[in-house]
Amino acid sequence: MLSALTPWIDYTVNGLVIGNIYALLAVGLALIFGVADLINFAVGSVFSFGAYIGWVCAAYLKLPLPVTILVVILASALLGIVIERFGTRPLQGRSRIAALLVTIGIGLIIDQLLQIIFSPDPRALPSGLPDRRFTIAPGATIGTLDLLIAGVGSASGLALWLFLSRSRIGWAIRATAQDSEAARQVGIFTDRMNMLVFALASSLGGVGGLLIGMYYNNIDPSMSFNATLKGIVAAMVGGLGSLPGAIIGGLVLGLTESYGIGIFGASYRDLFAFVILLLVLVFRPQGMFQRAGRAPEPLTGTFIAWSRPLRLPRPVQAAILLVVLVLPLAGQPYVTQIGINALIYGLAAMSLTLVAGTVGQVSLGHAALLAIGGYASALFAANLGWPVALTIPLGGVVAAALGTVLIYPAFRMSGHYVSIASMAIAEIVALVILNWTGLTGGSMGLSGIPPLAIGPIDLSDARSTYYICLGLVIVMALLQARLLRSHLGRSLRAVRDDAIAAKSFGLSPSRYKMIAFLFGGFGAGLAGAISAHLFSYIDSNTFGLDLSILVLTIVILGGLGNIAGALLGAVLLVALPELFREVAQYRELVYGLALILLIRFRPQGLLGTA
Amino acid sequence: MTHLSRRAALCAGLGLGFNAVAGRAARADAAPVKVGVSGPLTGPLAQYGAQWKRGFDLALIQINGAEGGIHGRPLSYDFEDSQNDPRQAVAIAQKFVADPAILVELGDFSSTTSMAASPIYQRGKLVQLGFTNSHPRFTATGDYIWSPSLSQADEQPQLADLAITKLGFKRPAVIHLNTDWGKTATDLFTQAAKARGATIVDSEGYLPDERDFRSTLTRAVQAKPDGLVLESYYSDGALIVRQAREQGITLPIAAVGSIYSPKFIELAGNAANGIYTESEFFPADPRPEVQAFVKSYQDKYQSAPDAFAAFAYDALILTAAVLRQYGTTRQEFQAGLSKVSGVPSVIFGTIKFDPATRRVAGAKTTDIEVVNGTFSLFKGQTATKG
Repeated sequence: MLSALTPWIDYTVNGLVIGNIYALLAVGLALIFGVADLINFAVGSVFSFGAYIGWVCAAYLKLPLPVTILVVILASALLGIVIERFGTRPLQGRSRIAALLVTIGIGLIIDQLLQIIFSPDPRALPSGLPDRRFTIAPGATIGTLDLLIAGVGSASGLALWLFLSRSRIGWAIRATAQDSEAARQVGIFTDRMNMLVFALASSLGGVGGLLIGMYYNNIDPSMSFNATLKGIVAAMVGGLGSLPGAIIGGLVLGLTESYGIGIFGASYRDLFAFVILLLVLVFRPQGMFQRAGRAPEPLTGTFIAWSRPLRLPRPVQAAILLVVLVLPLAGQPYVTQIGINALIYGLAAMSLTLVAGTVGQVSLGHAALLAIGGYASALFAANLGWPVALTIPLGGVVAAALGTVLIYPAFRMSGHYVSIASMAIAEIVALVILNWTGLTGGSMGLSGIPPLAIGPIDLSDARSTYYICLGLVIVMALLQARLLRSHLGRSLRAVRDDAIAAKSFGLSPSRYKMIAFLFGGFGAGLAGAISAHLFSYIDSNTFGLDLSILVLTIVILGGLGNIAGALLGAVLLVALPELFREVAQYRELVYGLALILLIRFRPQGLLGTA
Repeated sequence: MTHLSRRAALCAGLGLGFNAVAGRAARADAAPVKVGVSGPLTGPLAQYGAQWKRGFDLALIQINGAEGGIHGRPLSYDFEDSQNDPRQAVAIAQKFVADPAILVELGDFSSTTSMAASPIYQRGKLVQLGFTNSHPRFTATGDYIWSPSLSQADEQPQLADLAITKLGFKRPAVIHLNTDWGKTATDLFTQAAKARGATIVDSEGYLPDERDFRSTLTRAVQAKPDGLVLESYYSDGALIVRQAREQGITLPIAAVGSIYSPKFIELAGNAANGIYTESEFFPADPRPEVQAFVKSYQDKYQSAPDAFAAFAYDALILTAAVLRQYGTTRQEFQAGLSKVSGVPSVIFGTIKFDPATRRVAGAKTTDIEVVNGTFSLFKGQTATKG
């Protein structure tokens, strides 16, 4: 009897230990969300930063553990202050989506600096603690590090609670979180509170990184990404902005993953995390443990900064068109290929700018639509032998249909919730692709996808591919512009600007969102299908979260809802990293800085929102 | 150490006199012979690109020094960062194909990225030498796509020899990376293990960014295996053995050769002791090409080399040999690959391609056991109890 239970005791202990780390990240996110209405995507990078500072102290300088922890707390807090002062404060009161993007850029820079300073090789981070195991049940043990993590987790939770509920500064922070205008009126320096919260949140994240580094005896700069993802999921599960919720969310996430692996295996780990997240978002968007009532976010307006779209004068437009038309004739296949990449990203970005800008559903899962389109077209062409000229539009249709069905549960949500829900949906799609080996080839991917062709005419060379992509971009852009000028376009914008008002005028928000997603899904599916035939090989990594983030960055940079902006953004974000090739390993660093500066000075996007 | 004395040390390691080098070294003024490299220098896989670079730079010292370049012309490489992103890899492919100075391309790292660029190399008739691409379909794109990577079909039976025949596992559980590489490796190991009379009692896949293996290990142990077999890289392999030992799992563990790296021992700590593996690349191997490589690596980087540096080193040495013997055009290089034989290699001893599969067969592995924190020759004992 007991022996049948033993693995479950193991799963539970393990889930709680990991859950403690998730909780530290989630509490930091919740704190920042509370006062700044911002999901801090740099949280994972602060986590890695803490781990590396810990490595310098513990492994390099050989300082004792308590000193190491103290240094990590101080250094991470300092980093938090820098992020607040130079990253998010200049964008205060502008758009939160711009601030969110800045935190992504800052994260990129921190990761890259760590990589340059400490090399990308993983490093060992020994804890120096005696390795004692305590038997808690026959066959199930718990170690000193497990206890340390549990101790630090609960101690910091308790300290934070005491600080926020008993101290005057804690009261001021809570007042700022509740209503920063009112807080300012009663004499609270809200900027200082923001800074303090960033410092607090960062020190929690940094300590989390140190502990997890010691727990695994393994740190590397790429650990940021997963930390950000899991922290956000935990914070969302608990209810954004709620501290007890964040702690419980972290533990629930850790346990779910651990039990999930126990039942189905590690290839499904993230599936459970994202399914739980999705269920919570659909059924209890206020979080598992918060009472409903207060709307989770203001419904309209501040998520996106509005501005007047910038119109390019006709001669400039004509000149651009000319350059675009003759580009492949310059006889530079490399430049043509960059052009193809820009056009494919442009196609994807146009579809996202419709969904995100015109309808206000800021999706962080757009890559899933490309994946569906790519796999559909590849499978039709490779397995059924259908002509590529037919399977590409079919890929678009499948992406439109399947994508709309998948995103449907998110139609009731707004703001950050849509972004996170769509990210969860996209991760689930990727995991299904990975694990549905019979259809998708699983981790072996799909190889030998036929190249672009119409009938017997081979169109796989760079020049033909370019003109095919250009043709598709022009057709889709004209269709989309026509759509936006029509009665339908006005209705879509009405739904975005005020869903409740639109509803009271008899417009059905869900129906209009569906129309936008069908159209957008088609465009994204086309982009994915063309990529698949261009690459001839795709697997579950080809269309990942990094692609979703990049496409969203393009859209925000260009100006939400702005078709020309999406295309300009695509050209810039594809061309910039190519231009920075000369600086080799500093490339990402320069790219991150350029991104931050662009957003800093044009938070409404280069060509303005439309 | 100065540049000059480092070169001298290298030459001593190669058993060549310094004078011979000075006489034969490539002339710096001659037009260089160029190869292109597409690989991750930034992004999450940058650690492998960094190892490649070290391997390439060592190979260049030898090629342009002792071996006198390519008939007096220095060899150089143009390393373009793909971030392991297929979209950037296709652009790099176009760049290399369009640049007549580039005679052969090496890379990219993962099959997701390499295979996306393959059609462009094939159409452009520029050889893509995917020296880490073990995906079974990698060379299928066409006759310009070649891979001197380790064939899992060679390696897995040798791992099975070690784990099943020598160590005596009868009911192993396999824990494997769920990627094209890990999946191929596991399938081949399972076949080989069955042929040797063992039963695989459990097979657990995990994703490349996994760090937490405790639940996976608990699951594997439920199947009552008598040993664990890892199809992992060194970083995740170290995490697994460490967490297994912390969890009190005392089962013997055998792992595929790709865990072979000094980092494995650093990251796994004491848990590394008693781990069995086999490797094509073993620094204590007395073969002169291995000793020359290890010594020059240690002199230049003050650390021990790992298999990825060795792969890169071998790939560039092979490239130089083919360019030297068969000519410095893309076509001559392609034709030369099917004919070349006897090029010394750290991994294979000597390299010879099978022109039908465009792969190298016949890698021989050495059985290894970790003793007191160092990789040592396996002494042939059985590990299972009873």
